[in-house]
Amino acid sequence: MKQGFRQSMAWLHTWAGLVTGWVMFAVFVTGTATYYRTDISLWMRPELRAAAVEPGIAAERGAAYLKVHAPKAVSWFVSVPQEDRPLIGVYWLDSFEAPIQQATLDAETGAPTTARATQGGDFLYRVHYELQMMPEVGRWIVGASAMVLLVALVSGIVTHRRIFADFFTFRRDRSAQRGWLDAHNFTGVLALPFHLMITYTGIVTLAFTLMPWGVASAYKGDAMRFFVETGQTPAWRAAAGRPAEALPLAPLMARAQAEVSEPLEMVIVNNPGDAASTVAAVFEEPKGLAHRHPQVVFEAVSGAVIARLGTLKPVAHVFTSFLGLHEAHFAGPALRVLFFLCGVMGSATIATGLVLWAVARAPKPGTAPDFGLRFVRGLNLGTILGLPIGIAAFFLANRLLPVALEARATWEGGVFFGAWGLAAVVGLLRPHDRTWREMGTAAALLFLAIPLVSALTTDRGFDFIGFDAAMIAIGLALAWGARKVSRYRGPARTRPATAPESLARA
Amino acid sequence: MPDETALRNPGRGLGWRVRAAVAGRVVLATFGGYAIAALSTAFLSLVLPMVRSEAVATATLLSFAVMVGAVVWVFAARTLVRAALGLAIPGILLGGGLWLALALVDTASPA
Amino acid sequence: MTPSSVALNLALSFAGLAALCLAMDRHHRAIFHGAPSRARARALRWTGWCGIAASFAAAVITADWNFGPVQWIGSLTGAALILVGLVSYRPRWIRPAALAALPLAAAAAFLT
Repeated sequence: MKQGFRQSMAWLHTWAGLVTGWVMFAVFVTGTATYYRTDISLWMRPELRAAAVEPGIAAERGAAYLKVHAPKAVSWFVSVPQEDRPLIGVYWLDSFEAPIQQATLDAETGAPTTARATQGGDFLYRVHYELQMMPEVGRWIVGASAMVLLVALVSGIVTHRRIFADFFTFRRDRSAQRGWLDAHNFTGVLALPFHLMITYTGIVTLAFTLMPWGVASAYKGDAMRFFVETGQTPAWRAAAGRPAEALPLAPLMARAQAEVSEPLEMVIVNNPGDAASTVAAVFEEPKGLAHRHPQVVFEAVSGAVIARLGTLKPVAHVFTSFLGLHEAHFAGPALRVLFFLCGVMGSATIATGLVLWAVARAPKPGTAPDFGLRFVRGLNLGTILGLPIGIAAFFLANRLLPVALEARATWEGGVFFGAWGLAAVVGLLRPHDRTWREMGTAAALLFLAIPLVSALTTDRGFDFIGFDAAMIAIGLALAWGARKVSRYRGPARTRPATAPESLARA
Repeated sequence: MPDETALRNPGRGLGWRVRAAVAGRVVLATFGGYAIAALSTAFLSLVLPMVRSEAVATATLLSFAVMVGAVVWVFAARTLVRAALGLAIPGILLGGGLWLALALVDTASPA
Repeated sequence: MTPSSVALNLALSFAGLAALCLAMDRHHRAIFHGAPSRARARALRWTGWCGIAASFAAAVITADWNFGPVQWIGSLTGAALILVGLVSYRPRWIRPAALAALPLAAAAAFLT
């Protein structure tokens, strides 16, 4: 029975891993990049310099813009400039059903910024959690894939019986298949706590999309009330229906700041211009794992404090700590590098698993691969190398597209998907070892070109030394990988499969 | 899970029986597993002896572990019928419990 | 969560994992002559677990209960990554590296 259980788990691991692998590879890679979202955003707006603006003043500048451009909105959001994002971000909702709209303002003047239009690091972040699709569709695809990945992880742990004996082993000198299996095991096992944590907490970030039934039964579907009761959002105050003059924001922000030690992050104005309007000062997360932002909420007209949010009940604290662990906003530079490396290892685990599936099914010499194998090989190529090509093209597009281009931010995204799609088509048409080498080299060259193109097209030279170094490192890693792939061939097809290998393919 | 030969020769010589059995388990794992997780979330949200918001948070956090457990069970069970029974029985219990809880627990009062 | 606290963690985790690794026949053989004696393997295993425990203690002391465990697991992963690299490509460096990790840990502890 035990053998039977392990066998069925091996089967489950193989197939669950395969069907979810392509989506989850994209999710892992873009998620890993998102650890450096603010750095990416800064790099993508090279015109910006650090600006020292009083947060309260910045909030007023944002509100002044919104007063002109969104007077009828139900909510305004103004994010004040941060060190890593020297801009005022304004967002507004015309109604609860309407999509959120936004503009980016210069911190010094409050006028729309002259920096190039770009989504910056937020683009990759949105690929990460909703694949840049419609939120309902994209989040369900990512959430369901993550669920399957969690199943693959659990069944993979059961399958891998020599988990401790092989812990330090990476036999790079054996056959291709053995090497891929070792690489898969080693990246999978070494960072296993991370993989389990990031997958589970990632699902939890989408929890109320994927599993709304607790809110449905206990709150009759009133999610807003749930968030109010957990202390994550202040209660919504209905509009009074008559206009009234609100107090200026800066003094309110100063009063709020006197109560909270973290810096101000955002101001939310609900029902702006109305007599019952509220103003919430939202602060950055205090030191701690939990993803929670202290808030002080004022009556906009009278200036009376109507709510203070900050502490959470135990389970809500655990819940938000899951979100915090996933996002790792708490991580300083050193720990962030470790998280990043773990993310790279997660991506590598998925990539090696996908390749292993195909390598283990390589046809005998002289026979043609069947359609399924060709298809998987093609998708592997198109995903594992296509995505990096897309990302590199996205960064290059940020530097090469004309600054004045209409809908420029959308074009950048178009270049990302265009380059990725092109690579995927090439991969599907020519799923050969040679294509791996060629596309790997192409991806490497694209990444290596980024610092150079950036230095030539902006006046910032090599200011972004960390970003440039990362691009060069990724480029070199891809070049190295392409060389490796071109060397490995043959032996797996002639060697009979031994027991653990047949397990890997079972 | 299906039979051994099918495992050893993936993609080749799979009879329709094996294919159907695999498809059956995939469907059962997907929808049955989700149903169990959803029922347990709804049920626990109502009956856990905590403040309402805490019960919902606990139940929702646990739901994904419940689903993984259900999926593993479906693929580990020896036959499809056993797998289905293994989901149906807790499913009926949870459903009955939820029905009772919905009737008895007052969801209107702020907890 | 200062860099020196992470460095302390990494060094202790590395030393601990290296000892555990060398307690295993295959990896011991790659560096020394033959498999370790029973007593030697046991001593290495104990040293290894003590190193990992010390790393946990260091994490909790220098980065408190909130982040300590996260940092500890992160450091174990990072250390294991380095160690597997050495096992695969430069096995002879493991022993000096593990021994060098100890004074490094002391230095990092002093800085923290």
